[in-house]
Amino acid sequence: MKKIAILSVLVFVFSIVSVSMVMAQAKKAAPASTKEPIKLGVIYDFVGGCHMYSETGVKGIKIALDEINAKGGILGRKLDFIVRDTEGKADVAVRETKDLILREKVHFLIGPCSSGMGLAMQVIHSEYKVLRISAIANTEAMTVDKFSPYFVQVVPNTYMEAIAATRYLHKKVPTAKKFCTIAPDYEFGRREEAAFEEEIKRLVPGVEILYQAWPKLGEKDFTAFITAIMAKKPDAVHSSLFGGDLVSFTKQAAPYGFFQSVPFIALYDFPVLLALGPDAPEGTFGFGRGCFFMDPNPKMMEFVEKFRKFTGTYPDAWAVQNYDAIYLLKAAIEKAKTIETEAVIKAIEGMPFEGLRQKFTIRPLDHMGTVPCYQGTIAKDPNYPFKIWKDITRVPGEQVIRPEASVREIWKKTGVTR
Amino acid sequence: MSFDVLFSQFMSGIARAALLFLVASGLSLTFGVLRVLNFAHGSLYMLGAFLSYSIWKFLLMPVLGFYLAAIIAALIMGAVGILIEYVLLRRLYARGWPEQLLATYAIVLIIMDLVKWAWGGEFLSIPRPKPFTGAVLLFGFPFPSYNFFVILLGLGLLVFLWWLIYKTRFGDIIRAAAHDREMVSALGIPIPWLFTWIFVLGAFIAGLSGAVTAPFGSVALGMDIEIIIECFAVVVIGGMGSLPGTLLGSFIVGEVYAFGIMLKPELAIAFIFMVMAVVLIIRPWGIFGRPER
Amino acid sequence: MVIKQTEQKESMLKRGWWLILLIIIFLIAPAFLSEFYLTVLCEALVMSLFALSFNLLFGYMGQLSFGQAAFYGLGGYTVAMLITKVQFNFWLSIIAGVLVASVIGLIVGFFCVRLRGIYFAVLTLAFGQLIFSVVFKWHDFTGGDDGIQGVFPPEFLKSPTNYYYFLLIVFLLSAFVLWKIIHSPFGQTIISMRENSERTEFLGIHIAKYQLITFVIAAAFAGLAGAIWVPFYRSVAPSYLTWIKSGEPVMAAILGGPGLFFGPVLGMFIMTFFHSWVLGFTIYWPVVMGALILAVIFFLPGGILGFIQEKVNERKEIRNRE
Repeated sequence: MKKIAILSVLVFVFSIVSVSMVMAQAKKAAPASTKEPIKLGVIYDFVGGCHMYSETGVKGIKIALDEINAKGGILGRKLDFIVRDTEGKADVAVRETKDLILREKVHFLIGPCSSGMGLAMQVIHSEYKVLRISAIANTEAMTVDKFSPYFVQVVPNTYMEAIAATRYLHKKVPTAKKFCTIAPDYEFGRREEAAFEEEIKRLVPGVEILYQAWPKLGEKDFTAFITAIMAKKPDAVHSSLFGGDLVSFTKQAAPYGFFQSVPFIALYDFPVLLALGPDAPEGTFGFGRGCFFMDPNPKMMEFVEKFRKFTGTYPDAWAVQNYDAIYLLKAAIEKAKTIETEAVIKAIEGMPFEGLRQKFTIRPLDHMGTVPCYQGTIAKDPNYPFKIWKDITRVPGEQVIRPEASVREIWKKTGVTR
Repeated sequence: MSFDVLFSQFMSGIARAALLFLVASGLSLTFGVLRVLNFAHGSLYMLGAFLSYSIWKFLLMPVLGFYLAAIIAALIMGAVGILIEYVLLRRLYARGWPEQLLATYAIVLIIMDLVKWAWGGEFLSIPRPKPFTGAVLLFGFPFPSYNFFVILLGLGLLVFLWWLIYKTRFGDIIRAAAHDREMVSALGIPIPWLFTWIFVLGAFIAGLSGAVTAPFGSVALGMDIEIIIECFAVVVIGGMGSLPGTLLGSFIVGEVYAFGIMLKPELAIAFIFMVMAVVLIIRPWGIFGRPER
Repeated sequence: MVIKQTEQKESMLKRGWWLILLIIIFLIAPAFLSEFYLTVLCEALVMSLFALSFNLLFGYMGQLSFGQAAFYGLGGYTVAMLITKVQFNFWLSIIAGVLVASVIGLIVGFFCVRLRGIYFAVLTLAFGQLIFSVVFKWHDFTGGDDGIQGVFPPEFLKSPTNYYYFLLIVFLLSAFVLWKIIHSPFGQTIISMRENSERTEFLGIHIAKYQLITFVIAAAFAGLAGAIWVPFYRSVAPSYLTWIKSGEPVMAAILGGPGLFFGPVLGMFIMTFFHSWVLGFTIYWPVVMGALILAVIFFLPGGILGFIQEKVNERKEIRNRE
């Protein structure tokens, strides 16, 4: 009797579970309309050091979308976008990605700012087969170690950026043999410093790295790091601090006479220079990803005017990259003549593109754009009410991108097959 | 390692310790008397920092602006303290401490969003005020003079609290209340009144220390959680509710962090908690703490 | 005596019907929920298990732990590291996650059970923060701030529906085991210690030992919750171990009612669904949560379930009097 009861309960449970599963499967096939707007999910980190970048990034997207929509959209469809915040937490980034894909049913994703968030998101959107373009986050892991065909990069990745910056630093202080580094302690900072180490060892035989400081992302008190670095008396310091963190660091290091005593390179791009105002240390080196004073080509200057009309301020590299990302997507969709993900990816691979930072292509192998890197020296300029760079170098992406053979080498180790 | 190197690292530890003491003394005072562990203390600190930034911007005074802004922000935070104590905590003294703890936790969440809504997530900063803009040479090593200002302020607060607690009648009541609440009440001293003032003093200190950090580093979301965790470490090491304990705790945490960064930067934060674990294993109530009754 | 027993049996039966109905609803849920809400349901189940583990300490042992997320995170990290770094078996990884959480729970618990009340809360918070800071800063081993990505379950569990059933089974079994523990002589001793620690000590029961065992059990179930959650989200990050995460089960328990077995579960369900609903139109979730906590503390002192039960009891009493 008892056996029969248990058996019947089991049969009952089994049957409702299997019916539920079938019904859950059946729900998935939803017909796609061709008249509805194309939906973009934009995920950024509106917190800490990433905040200012994320905000202007969204402005860049907004300007591009308004322009495109005013001209009738893409393939006759308007563009729509939804902005979400990761709060700088990987679990929130995953949840928001799922939310955008499952609830909002976006067609493409743009973002995020922090490389750590990018890695967490990449697993999810790749599984749901949604294409993401990164216009701020740039860890090399997204295109190399953890390559996904559903990801396209229009920002110079950590490897390219650090190699180019290291060459510039070496050109400026060729005698430097002893180095210290200071970088935010997360994916981006770790990758940049690893690439710096790799390149400086190639350039300077017998180089010594005395001390590496890893303040956390969003650190507010750098005092102990500054004294620890100065105590080591390095010949030069390489850093990948950025945004608000770099502003705090610069303000706290100045009273120690840090910038007079040590050649220093960091991500001194436009928003940081603007925030620092008169405190920006002249003669210190900076690297960046392309804004108006780094690459004053006609297309860029035209964008500057549009941006100033829209916001009242100058655009930074983050607005530029996001604007480029939208136009790249537009070009790819128009080439593919559909918004179907696989076709768009096919179209994007190897497609020549001319954006605000001049010509680049998306390398078919790893979806890395051959985008340029820029370096310069902080200086006053009579034309602007803030400090900009002089001595600017523009390094085309082809010169610093990781060779295909090397990419395949890494793929062998990480198990990527392509 | 030469002396000047160790000394400069020691001094950056002292600067941090001074800042921690400023914040933690308020937390410890509130706990000592009210027996409420105020999670929202860090939030009051953060709100103080943001307020001082806005007031400073509004005042537009080159020299006095910052000092005035700091005092006004601290006073506003004192008023916020009255509000919190009078509206929320007062109704919870009769209930268990978990409810009190959770109520202050709720305030953390509310202030967090309030700040996000009012100021956004950007990094704000106030330039160092005159005459503390430059650096002083100590044994040939430059040392920001604003750090001296923070250290002096910390010492000033220490002297003030010591005087208040050990040299005044109000202090007698505080110590008596911390020891035996019923007894003080039986003597005809209104406990609710005492509690309000202590909480307000704590909130005032939190606001002031928040304002003082504004030129030190930067003002941003998340500074509430960061500071409160370190303050917990300070009061747990020193002993909750004890003034000398808070002083010693701040010193230990500040120095362990500074030298941790020099020796093994990755583990600097973990070092603090390791020291704390060791202290707690030897003295579960902190170095100067009293066992619970 | 006899009457009382049948009465109890009857109420058990009544409660049993409720439970069976609920279980059936959960079993057929995937047929009616969109994939998004199925994801939310999964989260609610895992967080409920986490809250149950917490409530073993809070509701039954009478000690508030503010470091429970450390064990949740440890379970998750163990699974993530074993699966991504050494391609360890999924099931064994989950068991390993539970074991790691229990062992660390044993060490932390050893120091914590010597303290009571607010000191216990602060010490668990401190140990939680210690574990967090090690995970957060040990970049080479744990991935630091970035966490670990690409934690995949076996092929047949990759679909959300299948993973949901897996989570449901684990949740039901764990809830059953915890229920049994609480209603065993051991559980009754724990409860009586909360009521009167001196008397139980007098009876020759070593309180610290009992509390340590409870602490380890709670850590183990928190670890299990983390271990089954991470493969669903495919990644783990240090924010899983922060005190903010530790605060979630505290809130859930207070919200649902810490005095009842399913109180924290109800609290967690309300919180999780409310959260996903609120996020659809505002980013200001914490302020909503804060207001909710204050409202519960002031207006529903026993939590929602506690409030309902009180009302039911009142009505029963009135009926009895009549």
